[in-house]
Amino acid sequence: MTASLLALRGIGKAFPGVRALQDVDLTIERGEVVALIGENGAGKSTLMKVLAGVYRPDAGELWLDGALVALKSPAEALRLGIALIHQELSLCDNLTVAGALFLGAELRRGPFLRRRAMDVQARHWLLRLGLTVEPAALVATLSPGQKQLLEIARALRAKARVLIMDEPTSSLTLPETERLFTLVRELRDQGVGVVYISHRLGEVRELADRVVGLRDGKNSGELQRAEITHERLVGLMVGRTLSATRRVAHVPGDAVLQVKGLRTAAFPQAVVELAVRRCEVVGIAGLLGSGRTELLRALFGADRALAGDVTIAGKATAGRGPGAAAAAGLVLLPEDRKQQGLVLGMSVRHNLSLPTLRGRGVLIDRAYEAALAMRAIAELEIAARGPDQIVGTLSGGNQQKVVLGKWLAANPRVLLLDEPTRGVDVGARSEIYARLHALAAQGLAILFVSSELEEVLALADRALVMRQGAIVGELAGAALTEANVMMLATSMESR
Amino acid sequence: MKKIVGLVALLLVIAVITATFSYDPITDSNPFLSAYNLENLLQRVGLFGVLSVAAAFVIVTGGIDLSIGAVVCVAGCLLPWFLRDLGWSAPLAILTTLAIAAAIGAWHGLLVVGLGLQPFVVTLCGLLLYRGIMRGFTGDQTMGLGDTAEELRWLATGKVALTEQFGLPVPMLLLVGIAVLTSFLWTRTVWGRHLFALGRNEEAARFAGVPTARLTVAAYIACSLLAGLGGCLFVLDVNSAQASNFGNFYELYAIAGAVLGGMALRGGEGMVLGIVLGAALMQLLPNTIRLLGDSDKLEFAVVGGVILAGAAADAVLARWWQRRPRR
Amino acid sequence: MHTLSSLAFTCLAIAVGTAAVAQDPVVAKKPRLAFVTNCVAEFWTVGSFGVEAGKQEFGVEAVVRMPANGTADEQKRILEDLLAKGVQGIALSPKDPENMTALLDKVASRAVLITHDSDAPKSKRLCYIGMDNYDAGRMCGQLVKQALPGGGAVVILVGNLDQDNARRRRQGVIDELLGRTHDATRFDKQDAVCKGDLYEIRATFTDQFDRQKGKAAAQDALTRWSDVACMVGLFEYEPPLMLEAVKSANRLGKVALVGFDENEATLQGIVDGHIHGTVVQNPYEYGRRSMELLAKLVAEVDAKKREALLPKGGFLDIPARQIKRDNVRAFWDDLLQKTGKKK
Repeated sequence: MTASLLALRGIGKAFPGVRALQDVDLTIERGEVVALIGENGAGKSTLMKVLAGVYRPDAGELWLDGALVALKSPAEALRLGIALIHQELSLCDNLTVAGALFLGAELRRGPFLRRRAMDVQARHWLLRLGLTVEPAALVATLSPGQKQLLEIARALRAKARVLIMDEPTSSLTLPETERLFTLVRELRDQGVGVVYISHRLGEVRELADRVVGLRDGKNSGELQRAEITHERLVGLMVGRTLSATRRVAHVPGDAVLQVKGLRTAAFPQAVVELAVRRCEVVGIAGLLGSGRTELLRALFGADRALAGDVTIAGKATAGRGPGAAAAAGLVLLPEDRKQQGLVLGMSVRHNLSLPTLRGRGVLIDRAYEAALAMRAIAELEIAARGPDQIVGTLSGGNQQKVVLGKWLAANPRVLLLDEPTRGVDVGARSEIYARLHALAAQGLAILFVSSELEEVLALADRALVMRQGAIVGELAGAALTEANVMMLATSMESR
Repeated sequence: MKKIVGLVALLLVIAVITATFSYDPITDSNPFLSAYNLENLLQRVGLFGVLSVAAAFVIVTGGIDLSIGAVVCVAGCLLPWFLRDLGWSAPLAILTTLAIAAAIGAWHGLLVVGLGLQPFVVTLCGLLLYRGIMRGFTGDQTMGLGDTAEELRWLATGKVALTEQFGLPVPMLLLVGIAVLTSFLWTRTVWGRHLFALGRNEEAARFAGVPTARLTVAAYIACSLLAGLGGCLFVLDVNSAQASNFGNFYELYAIAGAVLGGMALRGGEGMVLGIVLGAALMQLLPNTIRLLGDSDKLEFAVVGGVILAGAAADAVLARWWQRRPRR
Repeated sequence: MHTLSSLAFTCLAIAVGTAAVAQDPVVAKKPRLAFVTNCVAEFWTVGSFGVEAGKQEFGVEAVVRMPANGTADEQKRILEDLLAKGVQGIALSPKDPENMTALLDKVASRAVLITHDSDAPKSKRLCYIGMDNYDAGRMCGQLVKQALPGGGAVVILVGNLDQDNARRRRQGVIDELLGRTHDATRFDKQDAVCKGDLYEIRATFTDQFDRQKGKAAAQDALTRWSDVACMVGLFEYEPPLMLEAVKSANRLGKVALVGFDENEATLQGIVDGHIHGTVVQNPYEYGRRSMELLAKLVAEVDAKKREALLPKGGFLDIPARQIKRDNVRAFWDDLLQKTGKKK
């Protein structure tokens, strides 16, 4: 028997107060796609960072091609052929594509860069990955999907034999995802070992040769290709079965959010009109870059709209900023949780009270703050050590709950959500869905944006489809199907 | 809090060293611990501490104010002009000076928020601009108070007697007042909470409905206002000001004091107590050198070296603390 | 930052200066002279009144330039810009004569260069107008002796020790107190031990022109040594700071004070009897006589004949004076009248 490409044996890693990994095993064979699944906080990211040389394990061994190795840095891991494609893309935005591709391994003659040679080689790699960008283009101008592919190109350029992909599709459009899958299969056929981490169980079913589950920092089981089913995957992750999430439609009431003649700076030609009623959940579907996020930001007043009226329960709020929108009862759970949703360096308690302290006098109402934190942690089941835990150290799902909690404290009438479950695992996801259903039943109007069609179908009473900044169609009831949404979202571009 | 403990330790170590070596066996006296020296030290800490608190207001927001020294110059030149040349009453002169300083801060804030200019650029140009204007305005004449402000000078040179020998210098008391007020503002008011949230993540604060633009302007106003107050105190202390060099480099002393005291330059972190201690360290070191050294040639080198050593020790200890096995 | 500040100011000054000259064609025909100081101080304001008087008296056009930060590189830029402007004669108080020789020679090759206040003997400057700072230092030392006939410990406060005038003044004080022979080339380092039979120079402190620092240094000296009997402030703004420090230490009368120059608070201190005396230069005459000499030199193109115009030994002595309680009133009134100020 030849040695496995990569084998981890008995890996353990502890952080102050947390045992992140305990006696974890993982093997990867040549030409195999291994999916690693588990809820947020199960230890997947830590394991990947051990594998990529970012963390040094407290216990256990790492075998590469049958030889014991100790990884001291990411650079060394990369030299040995282990490359990590990050969840949050780590490319430097100010570089050119070629510059990013060769970052840290620039071709040079003496102290001088060989730009021409790098451009030529870059073109080769881009072609191979089907990336239609110029080597001289700035990374900042690339779409998230293109950046993801560029990261992979960088790994391949470094002759990676083990490719670790952490949630690679979370910011990709459907065609980009397809393209990525083809590429992963190609790489596998060339003998590359791929570790694939994803919350999207559909993708796992489609791509994985083998599935390894992690729960609470330990191995929770393994499934061979033939054994993979949705139920078993969920079982591996949460150790219990979840109820189906399809919702019951509510009876909507009066319109609380009314938008007339709204034009955003990103799409000055497109005029948006919409209304959301009490007890109603409306989903916005559309491809990445179709103006969905820009629409929500304009409604919230985070960006100034070019023109138009936004009325919340009869109060006009356009152009008066997030503070005014929140005061009128419209709040936004933004797409970029870490940058816009939370002050990561502050505690759970302080984040929860941030928007609502102002209405309670000049001095900080500490009793209110403490009560709010207790209530939110209990009601939303936020898994924190206490109200003083720093928000940045919580898992993605729990961070999202804090964002939700801070806005629920403001007693909103309209809830805007941008990608509410990005980076949130299956367990927490269904909790969030249930929470939103309950809120709608209590009378809130909910308007959300999602790139996952399953999510739109599962949550929305009604879906609006956007393309190039405009709402190009509305689907409800039996007409609300995956096929119809995709047709509306893509019709102009594909044909 | 660990930072505060470290600073207190550093201050104590230097104080003990100075006290030990400055002991004079012939007269059996200790000049460092004499009432006169302690009063002088506290008075200087008071003066420079006000500037460090000023700098901290802008540092909290993640910005930087390089014009503090120039604002000190503006206040230092205008106050004598109001009092002596125009013959204004003390309250009117002080209030007008402070109002002008506050206007400078508002101007900085509006440029930073409204035009999105970098604080470094805005205040660097301010540094050049205000000192230049004051030189032109005063015609390079020394602006002296003469004997017109003998009573007002109590603010800078007076003391509140505790015992026959020792009294608390008024600038120190002013600093304590300002520090308590600032600390209250920062930790107990919604305004302060918002300021710190803004410093850590301006975008998230804005998305939480915090009026970030208004807050930033207010922080710059607070900074320049305190710098203006500092300028008034400095000119009352030395009785005259020369536009070309009055308050020169003071922004660096101010920022150094604040950063030493634990204000993170990236914003959103820090305690007022730390700032006061940082400012104290900045004043204790030169005093030590003048009391112990053969000459003051090495003053800057020693100040820089000790601060760097302190920062390095802090980092090493923090790392050790983190690596320490816990069970 | 400092470089930038002075640069910006210089640019501005030149722009304004150019505009002023351009406006008045008659002015342009007069000899164009410049009076460059080594820092910004009240002292030089008096000097610039002398320049003003000289302009009228000798029919010349002149600008006064004061380097804001008092640094040598700033002076260099001022000189270069003046040459670029086409100034024909420059009277300069060089900041760092030891290291400025090459620059000064270059200036001397393109314009008539004389020094005032502080000399640069190694350069090709034609003449030095001023007092001998070493002699003035010795005069200062005499004042200390009068104030302290029984001897004691002396602390000196000075702006910095790179400037020739500062070094020589200090050396004059030391040599006088220690009863040494007259030798202006001697130099005791800042931390050298200077102890004679009666007098001891305990320390020399520099404040880099920062007043608050000067005051702090004076206070700390009083703290450190309970036996300090006299403090000497060699720069214009320093005697008042020493007076403040001595007052706050309650040692008025116990610590004798001797100063330099004629800061109004220094003069008031002498009137009140808190300061024993001060040595004053005559900046007014520096300015006026610089204009006079430059006007003559610029008008004479022939180098040989030019030399004949120079004073003997290339040194025009404008002696310093000792101001004490008996003559302070008369001196002060004269100063106020010259500067057009009221008391």
